[in-house]
Amino acid sequence: MSLESDFETALATARTSVASKLSSLPKDDVDLVETGALDSMAWVDTLISIESATGIRDFGNPWPENRPKTIRSLVDMIREAQEPSPEEKPRARAAGRAGSERDITVDGWGYTLGSLAVDAEQIERDMALPLRKIRDGAGIQSVRIAADGEDELALAQRAADIALEVAKVSVERIDFLVATSTTFLGYPSFAASLHSRLLLRETSGALDVGGACAGLIYSLAVAKSLLRTSRQGVALVVAAEVHSRRLDAPLVPGEFRGLFGDGACAFVLTNAATDARDGCVRLQEFVWGCSGTFASSLGIHMSDDSGLNIQFKGEQLAHAAVTEMDRIIGTLENLSAKPRSEVDYFALHQPNPRVVEILAEKASIPLERIPLASKTCGNLGSVTCGASLCQVLDSRRMIRDQSRRPLIFIVAVAPGLLWGGAFLN
Amino acid sequence: MRELILSDITEMGSGLCVIGMEPACENLFRSVRPIPPRGFAWDRSFPYQRGNGVRFASRQTSAFPPHGEDQNTFGLQASGRCLNELELVSMLQRAEVSAEMEGLFGCELHTDTNGGNAWVDPSQADRSICGCLYRNIRFLVFKDPSRVTLRARLVLISGETLNSLPVVDRVWRRFMDEVVERLAKSQREIDLDRYLNRIIRHKLLQALHGFARVGLARADNGNKCWLMLDSLFPQPDASWLDLL
Repeated sequence: MSLESDFETALATARTSVASKLSSLPKDDVDLVETGALDSMAWVDTLISIESATGIRDFGNPWPENRPKTIRSLVDMIREAQEPSPEEKPRARAAGRAGSERDITVDGWGYTLGSLAVDAEQIERDMALPLRKIRDGAGIQSVRIAADGEDELALAQRAADIALEVAKVSVERIDFLVATSTTFLGYPSFAASLHSRLLLRETSGALDVGGACAGLIYSLAVAKSLLRTSRQGVALVVAAEVHSRRLDAPLVPGEFRGLFGDGACAFVLTNAATDARDGCVRLQEFVWGCSGTFASSLGIHMSDDSGLNIQFKGEQLAHAAVTEMDRIIGTLENLSAKPRSEVDYFALHQPNPRVVEILAEKASIPLERIPLASKTCGNLGSVTCGASLCQVLDSRRMIRDQSRRPLIFIVAVAPGLLWGGAFLN
Repeated sequence: MRELILSDITEMGSGLCVIGMEPACENLFRSVRPIPPRGFAWDRSFPYQRGNGVRFASRQTSAFPPHGEDQNTFGLQASGRCLNELELVSMLQRAEVSAEMEGLFGCELHTDTNGGNAWVDPSQADRSICGCLYRNIRFLVFKDPSRVTLRARLVLISGETLNSLPVVDRVWRRFMDEVVERLAKSQREIDLDRYLNRIIRHKLLQALHGFARVGLARADNGNKCWLMLDSLFPQPDASWLDLL
């Protein structure tokens, strides 16, 4: 674009923004505040209006002391902000050249659980299950469920706040939100509702991703792709589930319902070309697929009376999950060119701890490399592997181990049998 | 003489705008905006605080919609009553309240830009002040050479958002002045955004009596009444300055 058309565009933007506050447009060099044409509130609204129209962050904030508050000054400020600084130019060129080679890093993470802890015996009593069905059969000691006032949005907000704090990123910097929740069924959708709840910029995007228990992995994949193929710099990925309310229906079998807990997790992803940070793990390759052979092992449908119909073949599902997750781990070994013995941690979906123990034995993975979130929280759906990943990243952060980046496999399966995996290092 | 419990004291230009609570019916209250004997705004030396009781004799009112709460007075006198913050919020929750945007002023809200403040058509609004609970809040700081000003974004119970509300609450503005003064004195580089949106925001969201009162400014040249954050609870505490 020529300098002249740059000027014209900036002038049109400034005039439009000022005109929306006034019945007649003053001359370009009239001080809008000194002359009383705009009061200080309207002046700030003008700056926000230009920020929104141009995408220039913090436009006019702070306003330079010696600069009059005129349309001409607004134009100059727009043009100055849009011109890359000398040190930015080589970096911008490098980023452009690198294209798909840019690293996407996990800069922030956080998870939260429903506030109420319910132990296995209580679940067995409440759901009239045989004694020790949950504790010994599934290996669950307790589940965490949402208290009154906690829903998907409240949990997601808490998790996002933690992740943003870890990343030291303000919400204003989030370019888009990718969100997943199986239990949030309303409209506006989960992503839209969460976008408002978190008070993200109105010009940042919001996108819902399905996938049930594999939803977090698919959301991470979508966010990574968007970061790589756009000029956006920061993405927030959130998963939240409140099973305790969604599954609280008469037709849902107790041995299914009793396995689930409530929680949320969040991750801040940044485009390392613009925001490289030492010690952050990088999001690497993804794999995914759908094995229809096992589709009938778990089905959940809304019934005509708005209740839930559950088709749940526990043993078949457990067998399918173990087989499929072992396969995914094998695929990730090939992609990462690292054998599973060299993987530091496995952040896995956990239908229940017993299934994970069987998988660990079958796949020859030491159990201590699998953070067992489900043991004390229950199956958190899409949040399970995210909570496990957070536990890994928290432990690394606590010991301040920056000597080398850990290799982490993240794996999940969901009804369908939908599956997905990724590795981070 | 009528009695009010002062609920909102806001900075408007060089003066102050004041609102108080008056019993309406059956444990409910309504907002009354006492207007001084001369002009529309009270002097900056206004001696009362939120929660103070005041008495006044009413004069013929010059109220004009949507500022139907205006009540001309001959002046205010202390009644001797004083409510603490929790008692005041409890009272405000039994006055004009809305969980959703359209209920705030009984009419549709408009915006000119993404992320900008909202306004209402004065002929459509049926009141100029309303309380609401908020589920989330964030602050925006604008550094003007003359003064650092604060704006807030709120999420209502309905999930709707109010953007870029100018914070005109006298106590919050004084608090911000104090923050800026302390920073200037200490000559430390403090991330004001981080202080407000992490530390202070956390205090607000943790509080059990989080509540906001949103008001309408008088109509501007374009016949728009812009929204303002008249009161934000909890009110800032002097001890929060030590967290800088």
